[in-house]
Amino acid sequence: MNDILAMVTSVINTPMIIVAAFAGTAWGIIGCAMPGISPSIAMALLLPFTYGADPAAAVVLLASTYLGAEYGGSIPAILIRTPGTNSAAATVIDGYAMKEQGKAGEALGISLYSTLLGAIFGVALLLTLTQPLAKVALAFQPQSYVGLGILGLSVIASCSEGSLLKGLMAGVLGLMIATVGTDPVTGINRFTFDDAELLSGIPPILVMVGIYAITNLFEQASMPAWRQTTSNDASLKMPGPLMRARLRVSQAIGCVIGFIEGLTPGGGGAISAFISYNEARRWSKHPEEFGKGSPEGIAAPEASNGAVSATALIPMLGLGIPGSNSAAVLLGGFLIHGMTPGPLLFTKHYDIVMGFFAGKVVSLFALVILGYIVLRPCIWLVNRPKHYLMAMILALVLSGVYAIHNSLFHVGLALAFGVLGYALKYFRIPVLPMILGVVLGFMVESNYRRALVLSDGDHMIFLEDPIAVGLLVISAGFLIYSLIRHFRDMATQKAAA
Amino acid sequence: MTVSHLLRPLIGVALCLQLSGMAQAQTAPKYPKDTVMLATHSSPGGGSDVFLRELAPHLTRAMGINVAIENISGGSGAKAMAVLAKAKPDGGLFYATTPTFIYTSLLSKTEASYRDLEPLVNVFFDPEVVYTSADSKFQTLKDVIDHARASRGKWGAANPASLERQVLERMKAVTGVRAAVVTFEGGGDMQINVLNRTLDIGIGELGEIKPQLEAGKLRILAVMSDQRVDQLPNVPTAKEQGVDVTVRKFRGLAGPKGTPPDVIAAWEAGIQKVLEDPAYKKIYMENGLQPAFIRHADYAGFINDFGKETEAFLKNSGVIK
Repeated sequence: MNDILAMVTSVINTPMIIVAAFAGTAWGIIGCAMPGISPSIAMALLLPFTYGADPAAAVVLLASTYLGAEYGGSIPAILIRTPGTNSAAATVIDGYAMKEQGKAGEALGISLYSTLLGAIFGVALLLTLTQPLAKVALAFQPQSYVGLGILGLSVIASCSEGSLLKGLMAGVLGLMIATVGTDPVTGINRFTFDDAELLSGIPPILVMVGIYAITNLFEQASMPAWRQTTSNDASLKMPGPLMRARLRVSQAIGCVIGFIEGLTPGGGGAISAFISYNEARRWSKHPEEFGKGSPEGIAAPEASNGAVSATALIPMLGLGIPGSNSAAVLLGGFLIHGMTPGPLLFTKHYDIVMGFFAGKVVSLFALVILGYIVLRPCIWLVNRPKHYLMAMILALVLSGVYAIHNSLFHVGLALAFGVLGYALKYFRIPVLPMILGVVLGFMVESNYRRALVLSDGDHMIFLEDPIAVGLLVISAGFLIYSLIRHFRDMATQKAAA
Repeated sequence: MTVSHLLRPLIGVALCLQLSGMAQAQTAPKYPKDTVMLATHSSPGGGSDVFLRELAPHLTRAMGINVAIENISGGSGAKAMAVLAKAKPDGGLFYATTPTFIYTSLLSKTEASYRDLEPLVNVFFDPEVVYTSADSKFQTLKDVIDHARASRGKWGAANPASLERQVLERMKAVTGVRAAVVTFEGGGDMQINVLNRTLDIGIGELGEIKPQLEAGKLRILAVMSDQRVDQLPNVPTAKEQGVDVTVRKFRGLAGPKGTPPDVIAAWEAGIQKVLEDPAYKKIYMENGLQPAFIRHADYAGFINDFGKETEAFLKNSGVIK
């Protein structure tokens, strides 16, 4: 109760908090709608402007940018098959499929609604339980991350669209891409060809932009004559009561997984978005619609993104340990104003923390209002004649990729992944397992090897950690289940033939 | 009236500091440039970025120059080094050095390496400390070593190709104990594994463990400098505890080759002055930095030795051939 009072007072005393919440959300949405500008870059670009600002307003500005970014990245994902951020890549799958069916307004409505729900869930936890929950982060050992990563990879078995073998091939290809860069244990350079640009690996966003956006452009270019694109109604449609009831389960899955992922440092939004997507499919009543424009396929990753944008701040505020690049920039924002996040932040800077929380609440309203305003012009843009649209997308994607590190080399890489994606499509090899491999590969590998360094090579270490055991058992269950289904399907097919 | 004179009033932050700076500048010979760019490879909010941004207003006062910070990210410093090596040696552009620029030069074939830059002066050492969880049984570094001798130690360093890992490997070598040196992706990840006692000890900069230290969740066992640091007068060095390993994680400046002597002299005087400025001293002491001015004549040798030591370590551990 005192906290609520303190939050209200801080807003009254510092109206700048409201301005900051709206400005940050707006910048996050617009900035991250550009492929290449990640949430952490969008935040870092703002950082120099906060040096002279009121401390609470400064951190609110940065945190609101994070929230806006998680939503903004999904707009191009749905409309032009280009994920604006890593974590929006899971939204591409069903979001773009819906857009192709002329349901862009509905897809964007579901995305906004689900991000908002996830964010409300996350902010509620942030406001009430930051200090106790921060301790949960401490329960995760390297072994636990291996379990989490394996759970994510186990999904390959069920998302291989018919051919398990091809799915595994794609998954391995993704894992191979993830090995580029500095070896996590020995520090030896792998496949870097002495190039400093590759020391930290291939950024996943390049793979996603290449595989989704550029491949799509190649496909469009290879079509003999362009049919006029399916015209999309320019109005945003918020989900009605029936739709809301249908989305409930997938949103709950997204919230819970986003919450766990936000708490555990080193994970990151893209991992939780994909895991949520796949869990939503496993639990859905209509799993067959996934990949062909399922509303649940948008709701789950979007709810997870919304939740991560708030819960990732819990270990940062409560322990002083940032769980993601974006949280690290926000940590920088606190440090610049002489506040050190950590166990003592709440007692030493109570007023500012309450101002910060108030700003997080205001930014939820900002998300609804700004999300609503920005969509109409966006839908209008993608309804332009296709030849203009495609040229515009190409320019946007390539300049976005260039902007990540001002590197032409990265533009070449993204184009190469576009060619690879086109080849995979030609051979009917599913791309989702490959994306999963890219996203999860480094996490699984580095933690697996780290755990073995700890145990001196003894694999029993994985059975000694309850979190790892739990996650591995669940993964094994899913694997066996999908294998049984796979062979049963093959048997029925044979019998039919 | 040059363009930068016209621009001067626009650089808001420096404006009021500028007046006092000019008053002092009358006594010293005039610096050849009005505005100096200080570049870093770290992104806004990162270690070197914060170091430069906090240093900038104090430099303006001490040297009568405008200071602008430029973030040249990409390739872990490779891009920044390339820009610096090509810059005109007129005192207008310098680069914030940390061991990273030596590691990047050694780990990859960069367009320009640390050998292509002129080390200017050193400003600080970042004290490296060995710490453990507050509820662990280890009270001294000796306890950790004894434990590693009796069974098997678990020691954590932030990154595999890093100065921190180098320190732990040396510690292992001089004591001859069995310890797994576990590396992570960054200090935060490792801190969690010290806090939950997966690891016996971790090593890191004093500044980065400050929140946990203040909250009493971590205990510092040893300072890895050659002398105790002012912020922790009661914590003995590793050397005092019989482990003869020291490390000097430096923070300084480097410029293009051929930087003129008058520019170098101006920086030697300026940095010494800044380090004694009480307002700045308060900030850097709080950030856990140790003032460590090294003049130009000695700094080139220091960087060279550091490079050789690092190269030997990377070769010994099989990281590079």
